[in-house]
Amino acid sequence: MNPSAFIPTPDTIPAPWWVFEVLGVVTFLVHILFINVVFGGAILIIYSRVQNDHEANGTSILTSAISSKLPSIFALTVTFGVAPLLFLQVNYGHLFYSSSILLSWWWFIIIPFVILAYYGLYVHVKQAENRIKLSRAAIILAAELFLYIGFLWVNNNTLMIRPEHWQPIFEQRSWIPLHFGEPTLIPRWLHFICASIAIAGLFTSIVWNIRTGKAVEGAEHHIRTGLKIFAWSTIVQILAGFWWLIALPRPIMMQFMSHDILRTALLTLGILLAVSLLIQAFKGKLTGTIIHLAVIMVIMVTMRALLRASYLADYMRYSDLELNPQYDVLALFLIVFAAGLGAVWYMVKAVRNTETGRVEG
Amino acid sequence: MNYPVWELFGLGGGTLIALVSVLHVYISHLAVGGGIFIWLTDRKALKENDSDLNDFLRRYNWVFLLVTMVLGGMTGVGIWWTISMVNPAGTSALIHNFVFGWAIEWVFFLGEIVALLVYHYYFDKLSRKTRLNIAFLYAFFAWMSLFIINGILSFMLTPGRWIETGNFWHGFLNPTYFSSLFFRTFITLMCAGIFAFLVGSYQKEEQVRTKVVRIGVQWLIIAMIGIVLTGAWYYFSVPEGIRNTTFSLNPQAGPFVTLIFVVTPLVLLLGLTFILKGSTSTKRFFAWLILIAGFVWMGSFEYIREIARKPYVIYGYMYSNGILVDEVDELNRTGFLMNSHWTRVRNVTYDRYAEAGEELFRLQCHACHTIGGRNDILTRTEIFPYRGLVAQLTGQGRTIPYMPPFAGTFMERDALATYIQSGLKGEEVVYGLPPADIIPVECEVPDYDASDGGYVLLVWNDLGMHCISDSDPYFVILPPANTLEAQLIRRGQTPQFVTEGVTLTYRVDEQYLDPASHVPFWEYEHENFGVELERNTGLTGAGLEGEFEAVEGKNSFQAHLIPVAPYPEDGGFNPYPQFTVEARNSETGEVLAWTRVIAPTSTEMGCLNCHGGEWRFEDKPGVGGETAQNILAAHDRINGTTLLDEALEGHPRLCQSCHADPALGAAGDPNVLNMSAAMHGWHANYIEVNTEEACQLCHPASPDGYTQCLRGIHNTMAVTCVDCHGTLAEHALSLLAHEQEKQASPILAEHLTVTNNRFNKDTISPRMPWLNEPDCLTCHREFERPPMMVSSANVWTSSPDQLYRMRTDSAGVRCEACHGPTHALYPAINIYSDDLDNMQPLQYQGEHFPIGSNYNCTVCHTMRPASSFHHPNTLRRFRNIDD
Repeated sequence: MNPSAFIPTPDTIPAPWWVFEVLGVVTFLVHILFINVVFGGAILIIYSRVQNDHEANGTSILTSAISSKLPSIFALTVTFGVAPLLFLQVNYGHLFYSSSILLSWWWFIIIPFVILAYYGLYVHVKQAENRIKLSRAAIILAAELFLYIGFLWVNNNTLMIRPEHWQPIFEQRSWIPLHFGEPTLIPRWLHFICASIAIAGLFTSIVWNIRTGKAVEGAEHHIRTGLKIFAWSTIVQILAGFWWLIALPRPIMMQFMSHDILRTALLTLGILLAVSLLIQAFKGKLTGTIIHLAVIMVIMVTMRALLRASYLADYMRYSDLELNPQYDVLALFLIVFAAGLGAVWYMVKAVRNTETGRVEG
Repeated sequence: MNYPVWELFGLGGGTLIALVSVLHVYISHLAVGGGIFIWLTDRKALKENDSDLNDFLRRYNWVFLLVTMVLGGMTGVGIWWTISMVNPAGTSALIHNFVFGWAIEWVFFLGEIVALLVYHYYFDKLSRKTRLNIAFLYAFFAWMSLFIINGILSFMLTPGRWIETGNFWHGFLNPTYFSSLFFRTFITLMCAGIFAFLVGSYQKEEQVRTKVVRIGVQWLIIAMIGIVLTGAWYYFSVPEGIRNTTFSLNPQAGPFVTLIFVVTPLVLLLGLTFILKGSTSTKRFFAWLILIAGFVWMGSFEYIREIARKPYVIYGYMYSNGILVDEVDELNRTGFLMNSHWTRVRNVTYDRYAEAGEELFRLQCHACHTIGGRNDILTRTEIFPYRGLVAQLTGQGRTIPYMPPFAGTFMERDALATYIQSGLKGEEVVYGLPPADIIPVECEVPDYDASDGGYVLLVWNDLGMHCISDSDPYFVILPPANTLEAQLIRRGQTPQFVTEGVTLTYRVDEQYLDPASHVPFWEYEHENFGVELERNTGLTGAGLEGEFEAVEGKNSFQAHLIPVAPYPEDGGFNPYPQFTVEARNSETGEVLAWTRVIAPTSTEMGCLNCHGGEWRFEDKPGVGGETAQNILAAHDRINGTTLLDEALEGHPRLCQSCHADPALGAAGDPNVLNMSAAMHGWHANYIEVNTEEACQLCHPASPDGYTQCLRGIHNTMAVTCVDCHGTLAEHALSLLAHEQEKQASPILAEHLTVTNNRFNKDTISPRMPWLNEPDCLTCHREFERPPMMVSSANVWTSSPDQLYRMRTDSAGVRCEACHGPTHALYPAINIYSDDLDNMQPLQYQGEHFPIGSNYNCTVCHTMRPASSFHHPNTLRRFRNIDD
């Protein structure tokens, strides 16, 4: 049967489609950064424990700087995950709900898993000194759960843009309705995992960099270690990226390799900047690395959105989404958003005014 | 329809949503109320320089953060997650209408999270003033997120003008927005009070403990007063129709309504115990208890609110199964599966009935019903035979407002019924009752020699068929009560009625003399009719043999309410017991004339076609106990009565004790529909058949049934019930129109339609059952042959004396005397013996045509008259011979 027959009729949208694309991309950028720090941070913590790189009380030297921050960062991860999820549903709800339902319990279980992982992060921090085993188990559990959640997100993100894969899953009614038929599934997942380790590495460098000012012993070493982790993970990530690229359906792959100017330009620029980024990182230049990364991440999330559009070219035209405008409410949102950011700024300033600069969990 | 269905088997999507959402709603209300609590308590601590409170707040906000930010926040995302999988169409509609509302809420959520993190992690580092500002910001953001989400939540129940305009603000600031906002605000304060008890009772220092729980008590009292007041406001701001459905009709809401009335004072009482002195462990115990009570309260409230919305996900716009109200007509026309995206079957064919039915079940029913679990379809349909399921699917969403209508073609409806019956219940799909096994009876026409005969005795049953509901242990609609009428005519040049000096007697055949051993009427007549009767004696004192009484002014005699039953002693079933009637000279006892007549009477009530159960006997009709119980259970469920329990305790009821009925002379309850209006009005919604098949489902007229009560010339000429009475829906509408002042009338009439092209719903003529009936002369104008394709529906006799069974001709001869009773007009054909109904025409004129027709004037007239004195068009060859 024609895969299009399965695609539900979309509802009207209250503003032009690109409004939701932009809002989605911007908020997703923040979300992915935060989750990279949390998930990658958890992996680094586990790794450093395995390496016995810890002080007598069981706290890793390298990662002690970040472990107490993870629960709070995770709170923000979830908050910044809600927004892109909301905006995603406006343009793609009809696809996203369909693929979510096909994934059934495997998808639903994310919610209890997130709650568990969240509490795991707290247990890890709170029991780090008294009940080391429990603390370790908690962080391992959290990391495993994040791994699963990431895998399911990759499943859903790929399934929702491949209506041609829906019918077999729908008709087989398998107990494991995952998107294993998708060639990009594993490289996408790997791409996320490597990015998380890299960003978490970079994050430790940043935290230790802040500490440098306070003359904490060994800070310089840790900054370099963090950057090394970042650089090596990035190399693996680039390889995963190439795997992802060649796993794409050929017409789409070719769009990124000359057939489409914008996509090709972005990919080329991304690769060139990545090389430059690696040089900065291996040289131990933190600021340069951060600046490069910021640009690359914008390119990557934009490419991600473009890639989705390429996949869906046969199934939906954005211009076909019927518009039923609510510009007054959109304006109100933007005003509230600005005011909200103002309030957040006030609170951040209040924190800075305490001049301790130290967050404890 | 638009989306695939997440099959949750026994659990059901509703349960999953309930599990996630009740937890979230409890915590999220705490998040709002707790925010206000923190802010005000911190303010108090600062103002009074109270270090105890300061210390308490430090500990409180850590627990608060763990509960609200992690569990509360994540279950909030969880609700979204769940509803998008369980009800994607509804979620999509909400998202696409309120995305910016949610986006605004997200800003507040972000502010909440940042404020709470800063407040907690910098509790001791911030200046007191800044910390208080942060606390205020948290409380503000938290309440604002309620302010926003309340708009979307209340919208789902009362979308107000949005339905017409689609405008965001019309939906957001809907009719229950403000009442719900204030109600929920007080709920948040209740939650804060409860949480204060919990955290407070775990404080180590006695003075802190006491201080905190006292604050908790103050909060709880204010909250509960507010909850009661704003709750009443909220309740009355909900449209009356929704309130009725929720609080009286929908049985699912009942236990939770009770629960909330019990738990509300309980929460307050448990809270007040904290004023009393008590050990720490007691306080902790009570704190947990009130926490649980609060949870139950919250769960009950949210559940009732959800139930109130049934059968919609957005009231009046989208049903719970994602089907839009506006698209149902189109789906009924073009087919549901044809318009569905996620189905394995699109075209329903007979060989794929069960398969198509399964798809329909998944797409339309599974949103609320599971197989073997919550709201189990198996138990809900347990009693129904196939025909009952079809009826249920036809009627749902009409008279019972908490279920959506079935959307799809008749074939799809039948396919779904087939799937439920055979695929789920594993029962055979039988399209009706098995054909009756008719055992013919003897019919002996009395001898008559016109040359000797000075008298003609004409006897008939008034209705042509009298039904008995032999369900006496449970309910009674009609008792055994047949009426025979007679006219005695002295032959002559000008024949004369004889009404004096004669005695007319009747006697049923031997086999039918003891009905009491076959029907339970005489065991329950006291309960059902409030009288004590002798065995085999009817309600007027008439027995199976007796005398007629003269009817004044009618030139006729009547034997009123003879309690004959269709069960002969030899064990068979014969709905046409025969009587011998004799006219004697009162003084001499000389037999002047005698004849034979049947008293048609049947217990073949088709209730079991839909209500399930079996016949009362293995091999013959009679209303079975299981059927009767199912009927009472349905009546009780829908009307809030307790008839089944009463019957099981030995106190059955006469239906007409509430439902007025001229047939029994019952006044009934003036607020309740009369018997016929209730029966036809209700069932017409469940039987969407516009032919006589609809009538045959209940009345004993089925062409392969035990009675086949339509046996007159009309039946032979293929004139059906519908030609005279209208379709079931039209018939019901006319009865309901008479009762339009009563509450139930417009509800039952709403979905019924008129298909006759001579009249419409607005021009339907009201009629009183039994008294306003089809008029023969509507079709037979001037007693002539009617034109083709004629119908007498919606033209009723204006008064009782205009009824066919009451009317006379110009000479005073009753119509039924010559033409036979209603539904068995001469020449009739009876399934039990061809001429069972025609005994008198055959006796007096050797032909089965109406008495005197076909130039048989000499039955009464010794000399043939020259004109049609009785009524026009009599002096002619009987018309249907020519046809």
